[in-house]
Amino acid sequence: MKTAVMKTRPFAKKRTSRTFFHYNLMVGIGLLWLIFFNIVPMFGIIIAFEDYNPIQGLWGSEFVGLEHFEYLFSMSDSRRVIVNTLVIAVSKLILNIIVPLAFALLLNEVRQLRFKKFVQTIVYLPHFLSWVILASVLLEIFGYRGVFNALLSVFGVEGKIWFSEESCFRQLVIFSDVWKEFGFNAVIYLAALTGISPDLYEAAAIDGCGRLKAVWHITLPGIASTIVVMAILGLGNVLNAGFDQIFNLYSPLVYSTGDILDTWVYRMGLLNVQFSLATAAGLFKSAISFLLIVISYVVAYKAADYRIF
Amino acid sequence: MKAKKCMALLLAASLTASLFSACGKTDNGSTSANSGSDSTSAESAGSDKENTNDGGDPAFQKFPEVVEVHIGQGVSTTDSLPEGLSVENNQYTDYLLENFNIKVVVDWTAASGNDYNQKVALCIASNTLPDAMTVSREYMIKAANAGQLYDITDLFQEMQSDQVKEVMDSTGGQAIEESSVNGRQYAIPAVEVETAGVQVINIRQDWLEEYGLEAPKTLEDVENIAKVFAEKKPAGEDTVPIAGPDKSTNSYTNFLQTGTTTCGFDAVFSANDAYPGIFLKDEDGTITYGTNSDETRKTLELLADWYDKGYIDPEMGTRDSSIELINSGKVGMFFGAWWMIGYGIGDAYRNEPDANWQSYPILTDDSKWNVKLGSATTGYCVINKNVSEDVAKAIIIMANVLLRDESKFDVSEQPLSYWPVRTLMAPADECEYTYHELIKVLDGTASVEDYQGVSTAYKLLSNDVEVVKDTIPGYETGKQLSISDFSTENFGNFQRMYSLMIGDRPYATTPVEKEVRSCIFNQTETMEKKWANLWSMENEMVMKIITGKSDISAYDEFVENWMNEGGSDILEEVAQAQ
Repeated sequence: MKTAVMKTRPFAKKRTSRTFFHYNLMVGIGLLWLIFFNIVPMFGIIIAFEDYNPIQGLWGSEFVGLEHFEYLFSMSDSRRVIVNTLVIAVSKLILNIIVPLAFALLLNEVRQLRFKKFVQTIVYLPHFLSWVILASVLLEIFGYRGVFNALLSVFGVEGKIWFSEESCFRQLVIFSDVWKEFGFNAVIYLAALTGISPDLYEAAAIDGCGRLKAVWHITLPGIASTIVVMAILGLGNVLNAGFDQIFNLYSPLVYSTGDILDTWVYRMGLLNVQFSLATAAGLFKSAISFLLIVISYVVAYKAADYRIF
Repeated sequence: MKAKKCMALLLAASLTASLFSACGKTDNGSTSANSGSDSTSAESAGSDKENTNDGGDPAFQKFPEVVEVHIGQGVSTTDSLPEGLSVENNQYTDYLLENFNIKVVVDWTAASGNDYNQKVALCIASNTLPDAMTVSREYMIKAANAGQLYDITDLFQEMQSDQVKEVMDSTGGQAIEESSVNGRQYAIPAVEVETAGVQVINIRQDWLEEYGLEAPKTLEDVENIAKVFAEKKPAGEDTVPIAGPDKSTNSYTNFLQTGTTTCGFDAVFSANDAYPGIFLKDEDGTITYGTNSDETRKTLELLADWYDKGYIDPEMGTRDSSIELINSGKVGMFFGAWWMIGYGIGDAYRNEPDANWQSYPILTDDSKWNVKLGSATTGYCVINKNVSEDVAKAIIIMANVLLRDESKFDVSEQPLSYWPVRTLMAPADECEYTYHELIKVLDGTASVEDYQGVSTAYKLLSNDVEVVKDTIPGYETGKQLSISDFSTENFGNFQRMYSLMIGDRPYATTPVEKEVRSCIFNQTETMEKKWANLWSMENEMVMKIITGKSDISAYDEFVENWMNEGGSDILEEVAQAQ
């Protein structure tokens, strides 16, 4: 990106190491971050294959091969954890594309600029709230004496603690996440929408094309590549079902539908000091994620002729 | 609530930050020389022993130079310190520095409970243990097996004070054994009074009187009282007849976490002769797991019935803190250990000075009292392997000092939980003994002077007898004490006396029919791997059955899964270990 910008500037300084120093510095910080937080910790994977002993360290602990993986898959927990993760993550992935897209398209049709900006600002505010805060607000609203139950009682429906209901937990998690993020996600689509040339709409209008048809034939194809990028970027995260959200909302009562890989790893690894087992589960998750990224990359290239890298 | 907590955390963080900066300043001036020579003093101190000013008793020696002890400290979210004080700057740390040249440096703090355990687990995993911290049994074993802990087998024998030795001996060697791994001692054990494992029911006597009810004796009485509380709602619409466990507490104890649960239901199980969570050995030596019994099943059904009828807190298991609920005056009954009623719910009396909480035992239908008891030790102060001998000594001295001087401190403003790496030490019968001695003093059959100047392991007794008359001005022989007989002027004294005289009254005065202990308090090999998972399965099953999310068939399913997923191996191993 940066080099591209530089090239198009007519009076750009000559490229010397000095003029580029700042840019290298900026990249350098990013690289350092990458090395220390993403590459170095990678060696920790070894823990999954050994009986980790902190004193003997990564290299000294006894090697036990796939023992932890065997135990992992023999546990009755692991299947439901994987199912929960997939269901929650895939639903979030899909809804987090569709809802913001629909919202952006609708907002794009609004002609009154002030109203448009107003709505846009309001809906993306929840994005900036942390789950720690939002979770306690939600637990309060959907709690036993919460607003939601008060509302239901008007219609004579009996109240429940909604976040402790197995049958409701996933839905609540998914919808609260979509509600929190759709405004922010829509920003990208709105930006893409402004990139579509108004000439096309004018031409379509002259040809007698209605609004709906214009959306279908001009708007959507115009932002198709953005949608694909968002989907691919999302796929890599598909097994991240949202640790901080679920961690702050769940309780043992909803483990059966709400416990995801990350929360399970947290409990095993940090509370129950089963370091190796937890690492094995984490590695399993990463391997699946990696596979999904590769697949999505190939699919995107083959189907939409799109490459991110 | 969370927001409030966050705010508190932020404040605490900024406080500590400002504290650090303050420390930095004074350090530059006065003690920088000291901290520089710390490492050298470690080697020389051994020969410098004659410098100590405490008559040469190693148990209470004052170091010639300041010894820094880095600790990790759990802090209670409900106990707070007065403004300007902090975990490393309070009456306890001042006392240690002044009298023993032990400077406590708090490397980190975490809220007691899950947050603290998480921090401990991280320290073990990353091999960054502070010099000292108190941990629970699993973590102690884990760290000892990993070779991260200081072997204090010999040092402890050399350094322990006579009182500490007396306490250790009162357990018949059990305490040292439980803090040892493969025959070497790796921790200073917290030796708990026996009554800490005994659960009693605490009840609002003033509510009972309002509706003309008798104090409960059996589960049936509890149910009838709960029914009245649920109907009459003495605390308004959201009255909770019986509080339940919250997010971070369990429904009953297990053989690893033996100090009884707060707001759990151990007493209900025991009254049905059920002892879930622990391993039992019957007469012919067969080992069974207490959860897998018909009585446990029956009790779970009973609790589910209570929950269904609205007797038990509908938000049990999801609440942030059941104690907060009790403090707010909404609760009619809850189960807990002897100390809950005084130490545990101090704010309840601040909010409602007339709340007349009383403790009773829950008996079986034929009026017998069964109690589930815990291990001799409940916490372990572990020392990092890499510390100098002086630091290790300092940590043992801190434990000695706490036992000797605990009664010197005024705990009403600065709770004892702020004692750095506190390890409780008490002879097994301390509470009951104190109860009876205090009654003697109140009755006038013994005088305060009788107890002065006698050095025993009952370290608080002489102080207790001194304050008991002022704290309970309304005492009359033979009358059941109530809140109106107590003076809350010195709140710390009030909490202690209320816990002792009311909370421990059941265990001090009611004969026990059957004492049940787990036949093992250690983890076997399979347990080290699989117990965590089995226990979480069990916990989930219990919560779901009580709250009606699953019916009782989930119990049968659990028993089967438990056996298949390692339980049967564990039973065999436990049998072998006998």
